Amino acid sequence: MNPLSLFFKKQYAIEEKIQRLLRYLEDMAHLYQEAYKAFLDGSLEDLTQGNEELGQIEKELDDIGRQIQMSLLHESLMPDSRDDLLWFLTKLDKVPSSFKHSLADIVLEKPEIPEDFILPLKDMLSHTHDAVQALANATDSLFSDLRAVRQHVEEVSRQESMVDKIEYKLLQAVFENEKFELARKYQLKGILKQLGAVTNLAEDVADAVLILATKHST
Amino acid sequence: MLDPTVLIFLSSGLFLGWSLGANDAANVFGTAVGSRMVRFTTAAIICGVFVVLGAFVSGTGAAQTLGKLGAVNAIGGSFMAALAAGLTVYWMTKLGLPVSTSQAIIGSIIGWNLFSDSYTDISSLLKILSTWIICPLLSAVIAAILFTLSKFFVRKMGVGLIRFDGYTRVALILAGAFGAYSLGANNIANVMGVFVPVAPFPDMQFGQGFSISSAQQLFLVGGLAIAVGVFTYSKRVMMTVGSELMRLTPLAAWVAVMSHSIVLFLFASERLEQLLANMSLPTIPLVPVSSSQAVVGAVIGIGMLQGGREIQWPRVYSIVKGWVITPGISCLLCFVGLYFLQNVFQQTVQRDSTYLLSASVIEKFQKEGIETSGLQELTGTVFRSSAEVVRSVEEKVMLNSTQGLKVVEYSLQKNMVVTAEKIAEMDKNGLSSAQLDALSNLEGQTYNFPWQLGDALAEISTEWVVRGGGLKNKLHDRKIKQKLTYLYRIFYRR
Repeated sequence: MNPLSLFFKKQYAIEEKIQRLLRYLEDMAHLYQEAYKAFLDGSLEDLTQGNEELGQIEKELDDIGRQIQMSLLHESLMPDSRDDLLWFLTKLDKVPSSFKHSLADIVLEKPEIPEDFILPLKDMLSHTHDAVQALANATDSLFSDLRAVRQHVEEVSRQESMVDKIEYKLLQAVFENEKFELARKYQLKGILKQLGAVTNLAEDVADAVLILATKHST
Repeated sequence: MLDPTVLIFLSSGLFLGWSLGANDAANVFGTAVGSRMVRFTTAAIICGVFVVLGAFVSGTGAAQTLGKLGAVNAIGGSFMAALAAGLTVYWMTKLGLPVSTSQAIIGSIIGWNLFSDSYTDISSLLKILSTWIICPLLSAVIAAILFTLSKFFVRKMGVGLIRFDGYTRVALILAGAFGAYSLGANNIANVMGVFVPVAPFPDMQFGQGFSISSAQQLFLVGGLAIAVGVFTYSKRVMMTVGSELMRLTPLAAWVAVMSHSIVLFLFASERLEQLLANMSLPTIPLVPVSSSQAVVGAVIGIGMLQGGREIQWPRVYSIVKGWVITPGISCLLCFVGLYFLQNVFQQTVQRDSTYLLSASVIEKFQKEGIETSGLQELTGTVFRSSAEVVRSVEEKVMLNSTQGLKVVEYSLQKNMVVTAEKIAEMDKNGLSSAQLDALSNLEGQTYNFPWQLGDALAEISTEWVVRGGGLKNKLHDRKIKQKLTYLYRIFYRR
C-alpha cells in the first residue's frame, strides 16, 4: 500500500475513478471497432449486440463521470483548476456519445458498403481505435505524469490525420463514382463523416488535455 | 501578587496582539483559505498554535532592537504606545489600507521618546527604517528565485493534476505553520516589546534547568492574544486577501507564503545570526519587520517574473502610501494620548530617571572612546532626561549614534546593592560557576551606576568581560549584556 494514499485519500479516490472512466472509454473504442468490423463482414447480429453492449458501457461511463463531477464540486477539491477539469470532463463525455451515434446510424440505415471500401474503412476504424487509445493515455498522463501528455497528444493527431486522409480518398471515390445514385452518395458521405467525427472529437479533447497540462505545469 | 491595574495597562498590548492576529494571519493563510485550498478552522488552529510557539521560543531577538530604539520605562507609557499603535492599525484597516503593526509601534515609540524627552538611537531607527525597504525587496527576490525553482521542479517531476493539488495543499499548510511561527517570533516584539522594560511578571522557575523569564511570559500572553485575533476576526480578511494584488495560482500562493516566512524568520532567528557570525559572514539585524510588507514584496516578485502585467499597481501604491502614513499617525496619537494620560488621568507615563555626569562617568566615557576634553565643566551636572544629557554632551563634543547611546547608558543613575539574599533568590540558570563566584565576591557592595557593577564583575572574572568588536564577539557580548541586564534588575534598589 502506498503510504501517501493515507494522506491524500480524496485525491487517490478521484484518480481511481478517472482510471475507471478511461478503461470504460477504451472498452467502448474496442467494442465500437469490433461491432463496426462485424457489420463490414456482414454480421448484423454482432453489430446489434455490440451496439447494445456499447449502450450499457456508456451508462456506466455516464455514472462514473457524474461521480467524479460530484466529488470535484462537493469535496472542495481542486479549487483553482476545478472549472478547467469540469470543462474537460464535459468535452471528454462527447467521445463515447460519438461512438454511440455513429453505430446507431449504421444499425438504423444498414447501408450497403461497396466492396472496395471495406478494407479502407477497417483501416479507418483501426486508426480511430488507436486515436481514442492515445487520448485515454494522454488523459491518464494528465493525472499521473504531465511530461508524457504531449507525446500521447501528438499520437492522437497523427492517427486523426491518417483517418482524414482515408476519409478524403473515400469521399472522392464516392462522388467520382457515376454508378452511385445521389441518395447513396449522401448516405455513404454521412457514414464516413460520422466515422471521421470520432477522431476529430478525440483530437479536440486531446488539445484540451494539452492546454490543461501546459497551464498547470507553468 | 500581580497588581490588577497591570492587567488594565496590558490590555492595549493584547488589543494590538488581537489586531495583529486578525490582520496578519491573512498574510500567512489568506491565499490558501481564500482559494478554499485549506479550511479556515484548520488554518486558524495551525496558525494559533505556531504563532504562540514562535513568540514564546524565538521572540526575544527582535524585541531587543525595539528596546534599543526607546525603552518605554513606565507601564502607563507602554499602555499608550500599544494603544496608539493598535488604534492606528484598526483605523488603517477600516480605511482599507493594509496594516503594518511594525510601523505603527515604531511610530508610537518615537512618540513616547518625543513626549518623555528620551534619546532616540538614530542607528537603531535607521536599522529599522532600512528594513522597511530591504524586507519587501528581499522578499521579492526570494519569491522570484523560489518561484523559478519550484516551477522547474514541478515541470521536471510532472506530478499529475489532482495529486499536485493534494501536495500543494499540504505544502501550503506546512508553509503556513512556518509562516505563523516566524510571525510569532518576529512580530511579538511589536505587540509586547514596549512592555519588556517594565515587564510586570516575576520570573518563574520550574525545578532545575527550566525557567520562564518575565519577557517570555509576556510573549506567551501576547502570542495568545494574536491567536485569539486569528480565531475571532481573521476569516473575512483571509477570504479577501490574495486576489488584491494579483491572482495567484496555488504554487504562486505557496511561494508567496514561503518567501514571507523566510524573510520574517531571517529577521528573527538568533540561531541563524549565530551561524552567520561563526562563519564570519555579515549578520542580519534582528528587527521586527512587517508581515504585510513581506507578503506584498513576495507577490510583486512573482508578478515581475511574469512581466508585471497582472500586478494591480494602483493597489500597490495605496499600500505603500499606508506604510508611509502609519508611523506618523501612530506617533501623533501616542504623543497626544500620553499628554492626556499624564495630565488628565494623572497616570505615570514615564519613570523619573536622573543622569549624572560624575567624574567616574566621564572617565568611563574616555575608556569607551568618547572625546571628553570639553566635558570637565559638566562634571557633577544632573539631567532629567536622556535626550537632555545627550544634547548637553553634544554641545561640547561630537557624538555618533552609538556614542549617544553610551552616554545615556553610562550616565543613568541607578543604585545597585549586591546582597546575599538577592543572590540566593535569583535565577542562576545560564551563569557559569566563575560568573557566580565573581558575583559572590561582590556581596555587600553598592554602586551608583549599573555599569559599575558590570565593570567590577569583569575585573574579577574574564567571563564577565564584554569583548567588543568583531562579529563573533557580538553574540558573546549580547549574552553577557543580557545577563548583566538581569543582574541590574535584581540588584536595583528603588
